[in-house]
Amino acid sequence: MLGGPINFVNPLSVLESPGTLTGDFYALNFEKKAKSGRVILNLGPQHPSTHGVLRVLCELDGEYVDRAEPVLGYLHRMHEKMGEVKTPWQYIPNLGRVDYLHPLAWNWAYVGAAERLAGLEVPERAEYLRVIGCELNRIASHLLWWGAFVMDLGGFTPILYAFEEREKINDILQIITGSRLTMANFRFGGVCADGDERFFRLIREFIPYLRERLKMYQGLVTDNIILRRRLEGIGPIDVDMCQRYGATGPILRAAGLPRDTRRDYPYSVYPKLEFPIPTGPINDCFGRYLVRLREIETSLAIVEQAINQIPDGPVIMDKAPKATWKLPAGESYWAVEGARGQIAVHLLSDGGKNPYRLKLRAPGFSNLSLFAEAAQGTLLADAIAILGSLDLVIPEVDR
Amino acid sequence: MTFDPEKWLTSWRQAGAWSLSRHDPAKEGLRVSAFLPPQALVRCAQELRAARYSLLDISTLEAREGLVVTYHFDSLDEPARLAFRALVSRKKPVAPSLYEVFQGAEWHERESADFFGLIFEGNPNPIPLLLPDDLPGPPPLRKKEADLAPLAKLGLLGQAEILDPDFGDLIGQPVGSGHQGSQAC
Repeated sequence: MLGGPINFVNPLSVLESPGTLTGDFYALNFEKKAKSGRVILNLGPQHPSTHGVLRVLCELDGEYVDRAEPVLGYLHRMHEKMGEVKTPWQYIPNLGRVDYLHPLAWNWAYVGAAERLAGLEVPERAEYLRVIGCELNRIASHLLWWGAFVMDLGGFTPILYAFEEREKINDILQIITGSRLTMANFRFGGVCADGDERFFRLIREFIPYLRERLKMYQGLVTDNIILRRRLEGIGPIDVDMCQRYGATGPILRAAGLPRDTRRDYPYSVYPKLEFPIPTGPINDCFGRYLVRLREIETSLAIVEQAINQIPDGPVIMDKAPKATWKLPAGESYWAVEGARGQIAVHLLSDGGKNPYRLKLRAPGFSNLSLFAEAAQGTLLADAIAILGSLDLVIPEVDR
Repeated sequence: MTFDPEKWLTSWRQAGAWSLSRHDPAKEGLRVSAFLPPQALVRCAQELRAARYSLLDISTLEAREGLVVTYHFDSLDEPARLAFRALVSRKKPVAPSLYEVFQGAEWHERESADFFGLIFEGNPNPIPLLLPDDLPGPPPLRKKEADLAPLAKLGLLGQAEILDPDFGDLIGQPVGSGHQGSQAC
């Protein structure tokens, strides 16, 4: 398959008897366990509901999914290997490309792990700028998820609203990061640029604006009877399933547990900011929808406090590491709360020019791994709803 | 409920751990870890499952002494991150699968298999996950002999108590020693 044409299973194939289908390695492997008379459906990797390039093989019993298997790797770029062949400083722009919807959280996980390994002190103003950027970025990520998720369910309009707000956030983040996607303003010991008067003014205007828009979303989408019928009672994911698959973030919180890395392993200036951790009330698709919408409000509250508390001062430490900086030998495992759950970086150095090993823990990877079990026995259309409710960003899953 | 790392050190000692380590959580991100004999992994994972821990990830690396497979766990009820590790031969890299205990292990194991050529015995679907099925060449994260670093240098041992004499010989630490190499900060 490498470099050659991809030979997928036919989009809709009825299995007469085992061994009669044609297809690629994964399709043939999947077919081995299929029962006679079943329809094998190949969904993706180019399919609007499999955001990015996820591929899912489904064994259908009528309209019900009897067995599903995600096939990954279509967006795999071996970021972990790149971490071993670049200096720590050169690697920072990679992080925005791991998850393009919440790039600043990935920036933070990597830079934070290196700072802890090397014992670097970050100025307080830089910590506030990190929090403001990361939370605005979380709102943008949740908004895009919201629009795309409703589009999966057949509602086209909301994504246009979501993009309008997201553009406003990009206007703000562009001031401190210089980019609108794959942002990378984190540096070891601080951030690369301070916010100017316009940056803070736009945030002050944006907070009440989005709060008003969220009320409209409530009436337009959340209370919409079609949406409710598509989501309520669909795809329950309980604490036991989260535990067995290592699911974190909104999925675990919708299951009822108030686990949040910002609270459990307090970092940066989060201990100085007051914010609730939305949980529940139900663990189905609608519960996960509600948790994410409430997290938008939470992030707004965090940003509002942060812009009022932010002190003057430098945004990067004195004698901050430069491009040829070497990590001291040792191990560091550090995590932050991303839009999709716990992002962790396992960084090991032998004192050489490049890190010895870099492991990226993507929350979406663990969250998606429970899909096969959650989708078993559901209608195909409901399986799409479950997939959307997991908030997948495939570049993060594949890395 | 409060996290008692000593409880896990005791449990791992009884399971025949090769070494027990205490870490600086501010720097290394976890409180305790242990090198366990491969045959004890599944039982120790079952104890963690029963105590409401979940498997965060499986992080493999190649060191001079062998492939180190690190299993990171955290509690569902409180911040209590910890890890146990297995050291497997570089020539014949085989480890038991944790799939029966934590179903999420299936994908993490397949990823490590892709990147390091590890074989996880008992994995229900041991096919490539992220890499193509016909990728030529050695697994991409394996290192050249000359580039391999010893375990002690990578700080994996923290403040370690070595329990197994063979393991101590392998890493160059006498039994019972408190290794200080990575605690220089």
